[in-house]
Amino acid sequence: MIEFVWLIPTLPLLTFILLTILRDKVNQTGSYMAICLTGMAFILSVLVFIQLIDAGTAVQEWEWITIGSIQISFGTLLNPLNGLMLILVAFISLLIHIYSLGYMERDQRMTTFFAYLSLFTAAMLGLVISPNLLQFYVFWELVGLGSFLLIGFYYYKNSAKNAAQKAFIMTRVGDMGLLIGLILLFWQTGSLQFEAIFSAITGGDVEGSMLTLIAILIFIGAIGKSGQFPLHTWLPDAMEGPTPVSALIHAATMVAAGVYLVAVMYPLYMASTTALMVVTVVGGFTAIYAASIGLVQNDIKQVLAYSTISQLGFMMLAMGTLGYTAGVFHLFTHAFFKALLFLAAGVVIHAIHTQNIKQMGGLHQRLKLTSITFAIGALAISGFPLFSGFFSKEEILSAVWADGQYGLWLVALVAAFLTSLYMFRLYFLVFHGESKQRLDQIGLVPKTMKIPMSILAVFSIFSGFFNTSWFGSYLGDWLIGDNQMLTNTHHGSSIGVMLIASIISIGGIILAYMIYVKKSFDQTSLQSSFSGTYKLLANKFFMDEFYHTSFVKGAKGVGKIFVYVERYGVGFLLAFIREMLTTLSKSGSKTQTGQTQTYAAVAFLGMVLFTAIYILKGGY
Amino acid sequence: MGTLSLLVFSPAIGILALLMTRNSDNNQRTHVLALLSSFIPLLLSIFVFALFQGGNQLEERVSWITFQVAERTLTLDYELAVDGFSVLLIILTTVVSLLAILSARWMVNKDLNLFFIFMLFLEIGTLGVFSAHNLILFFVFFEITLIPMFFLIGKWGGTDREEAAFRYIIYNGLGSMLLLLAIAVIFINVGNTNFSVVADFFSGGEQKRFQAGMAIALLLAFGVKLPIFPLHSWMVKVHVHAPPALVMIHAGVLLKIGAYGLIKFGVFFFPEGFEILAPVIAILGLINLLYGAFLAFRQTELRAVLAYSSISHMGLILLGVAALNEAGIQGAIFQAVSHGLISALFFLLVGILLVRTQTTHLKRLSGLARLTPLLAGYFLVAALAGLGLPGMSGFVSEFTVFLGIFKTMPVIGAIGTLGLIMTVVYFLRAILNMTFGSYRNTFGNLKDLRTEEVISATILLLCIIGIGIFPNSVALTIQQTLETILVGIGG
Repeated sequence: MIEFVWLIPTLPLLTFILLTILRDKVNQTGSYMAICLTGMAFILSVLVFIQLIDAGTAVQEWEWITIGSIQISFGTLLNPLNGLMLILVAFISLLIHIYSLGYMERDQRMTTFFAYLSLFTAAMLGLVISPNLLQFYVFWELVGLGSFLLIGFYYYKNSAKNAAQKAFIMTRVGDMGLLIGLILLFWQTGSLQFEAIFSAITGGDVEGSMLTLIAILIFIGAIGKSGQFPLHTWLPDAMEGPTPVSALIHAATMVAAGVYLVAVMYPLYMASTTALMVVTVVGGFTAIYAASIGLVQNDIKQVLAYSTISQLGFMMLAMGTLGYTAGVFHLFTHAFFKALLFLAAGVVIHAIHTQNIKQMGGLHQRLKLTSITFAIGALAISGFPLFSGFFSKEEILSAVWADGQYGLWLVALVAAFLTSLYMFRLYFLVFHGESKQRLDQIGLVPKTMKIPMSILAVFSIFSGFFNTSWFGSYLGDWLIGDNQMLTNTHHGSSIGVMLIASIISIGGIILAYMIYVKKSFDQTSLQSSFSGTYKLLANKFFMDEFYHTSFVKGAKGVGKIFVYVERYGVGFLLAFIREMLTTLSKSGSKTQTGQTQTYAAVAFLGMVLFTAIYILKGGY
Repeated sequence: MGTLSLLVFSPAIGILALLMTRNSDNNQRTHVLALLSSFIPLLLSIFVFALFQGGNQLEERVSWITFQVAERTLTLDYELAVDGFSVLLIILTTVVSLLAILSARWMVNKDLNLFFIFMLFLEIGTLGVFSAHNLILFFVFFEITLIPMFFLIGKWGGTDREEAAFRYIIYNGLGSMLLLLAIAVIFINVGNTNFSVVADFFSGGEQKRFQAGMAIALLLAFGVKLPIFPLHSWMVKVHVHAPPALVMIHAGVLLKIGAYGLIKFGVFFFPEGFEILAPVIAILGLINLLYGAFLAFRQTELRAVLAYSSISHMGLILLGVAALNEAGIQGAIFQAVSHGLISALFFLLVGILLVRTQTTHLKRLSGLARLTPLLAGYFLVAALAGLGLPGMSGFVSEFTVFLGIFKTMPVIGAIGTLGLIMTVVYFLRAILNMTFGSYRNTFGNLKDLRTEEVISATILLLCIIGIGIFPNSVALTIQQTLETILVGIGG
């Protein structure tokens, strides 16, 4: 079975091709086909994973391009990390496909939606089984394409157009870091194969400062994709896409690819403490930065988007502090509860047609299952004891502590506190309190939407138990195994950290309860007493405005300068040549004017020169 | 007559047939006739390609003139041959010519017969350029391409067609004058202009100054064609005002003569001269790349965006040449082929759009995806190809060029990536502006693509994706040529 792993991304790709060609002719059938093929891809990944447990790793390679004496191949690579990602991506994709059946029910362009969704799934599955950095980059760009197409799905909306464009451009900025990094790495190590690269690095073939440079360049790629500061501003805008897309791409899978990239290249990062430091600081800062913005947003999807950025920051923080298992573990649990939160938010948006939480409230009565599953997701992300997020977040905090980054440890703690505060602010405002809309018009939530949510809820509660200090660290053992290159990473946890994390998490929930349910504090007076801070947070630290005045205007300015160069510099050259030739052609044949004659003049000039050289060189 | 001669002059059959039906008013029949006759060179080119892949040497030689000048024998023969690079460009020529003729039916509204005659005439010149095996013959064919181009622009172009034709002839005339000068010098020195003989003659390469001088001359001569900043103003004009069916060939094939000449004569004949010039070429490449990209970002007319985008993309060819290693040169060749396909696709779509809307002004177009989803989709795909999305040919060429330049001049390469970011910016700006957003009902009921149009666009797209997914199809064809060229550089 394992040799057919290439089929896994091929199946959804096939869906994409078929749906694109057939478009209007299939409709509902098309979406069933998409679900079937994604389902097959999932089953295949499970089978492959089962075989992988015995095999450990599996590689396949074919020739791709010959550049003189250089050979670059493509193929598939399965190792513990890839196997885990494969099954995770296939599983969540399948659930989202099913959910979309209900969510997109009334959309006329449903087939197009499923085609794009399948394209994304294919690219993401291809990404996680790449055996070399170039192929990784290829799929990395293709997932970006899928994301771009789906953000811009409602193409007639200007906001969607701008968001799609922004996402493509900002991630491309990061991608250039990755591209330069991989080219430098190729000339340093002579290969793009992960294994060859790592053996060259561990063998000390690459000089220290070069190694750091490459690691940071590649990390810039990860920053772009994972929405880390300062390349994060595209991700909140990406919420313009249909909500299932936000769940799959901009929460559970694609945006985690940056973290995954760091995990894949981990031996490179372990070889450079500076690079690790950069990862740590960027991750830590992003975690608290995005959490603080999430506190004051009023759009349900925006809050979730900032929470994604913040959680990805947590993962990066773990990666930077040698918490390899912790980072991947949090990626794993986050995929479930964040997808769940978005799907639940999707039900709410689907039901009352607004995303503004100030206009929501009391939805618990009408949307019981949604309310419960959302609460489960919120508890998980807040790290409430025994929920999945509790274990993974606690492991991150342990890793940061063990690495001796006490300052960042405090930062992470504050970010965790903010997380439970803004999540439960969201929960209470949406599902409790007085309803501000007529709720009797809310229809039944289709089964196709309920089932994926319920499944994700189960995983949001229990997926933490894959890696605990009580029952066994299955995930950590599986990931690290006997991999020599990862032996120095931290894992494990301590009771102390666990206690503090629990208190922090519950504290945030209680505070949210007091503010938004009990109303012990007045929200508006809080806002006015911190009006400066509030303004700063509500405007997202003015990052968009900053980019607009610096880069957008800068590019336009450079363009304008070039327009002048074109008009006057290049135009002058043209005028000069024109003047010269007209004079020449006039003196050559005074009776004739016009363009054909000019040509003749030029040709004639050539002839004269030709003969002149003859005479000079040879002489008649 | 050898196979290559047959190929080069095969469009003449079509010209004859069209001349004979010159008086007919039946546009339908004229179109079918032109179309059928452009299949002949296509089939022959495929045959030539197959022969070449089979390892056959397709050289042809007919003795022509030999004369004595001051105890030296100067030989001028009729010589044709192909290598991996030229055989690719030949295929590109026949494919793009066929598609241009196929789609011109709806884009040309006067004297269709004469239009096709010139198009086929142009094809003879172009095929000759890529099949010639000595410099004089190359030059003759090169000049042959100028004449039909001049008339095609001047007669069938848009509003500013005369100015476009005028600029075209001035710049290209000056370029060919310089080229002729360079060829004359070579001829006098070598006594022959056969490519292999010339390359052998200069391979000793002691005279550094002479080599550098020749490199400069060739850079200028082909720099007009490529075009290199600041010699590009003619090309922008032609892109915007020539008929789109012609621009398919112009941007798709004719501009590639610049790259072809630079690599095949420049780097191949005068490797040491180019080694001296490499930093200059790299900087020129960088200027092209960034200057074109930033200007494309400022344009309000789609055809101007595409024109500046061509300038930007030609910068990549210069960067590849400047790298002077296997990756760089291969990247430049890839870029020549890939850009040919992509710009042919773009101008096919431009022509299709123009027939429907009579304008390509970005401000007047919006929300095309609503009524013409297929056309909008193809525009988006073409833009993605242009911005180097992996899975399409543009990515392979960009990657290979950058792989090459980073080996020799990493700083230039790093600055160059800025151009890749700008490429995304200007392509998305232009295309999303047209296809996304709300549809303003300015053009009434727009019709989506007709079958012939879908076929043309799909053929080009399949070539682009084919090379993107199986780059070895091109890489293995040029392998040997690449080795021959690189012998001089010692790489």
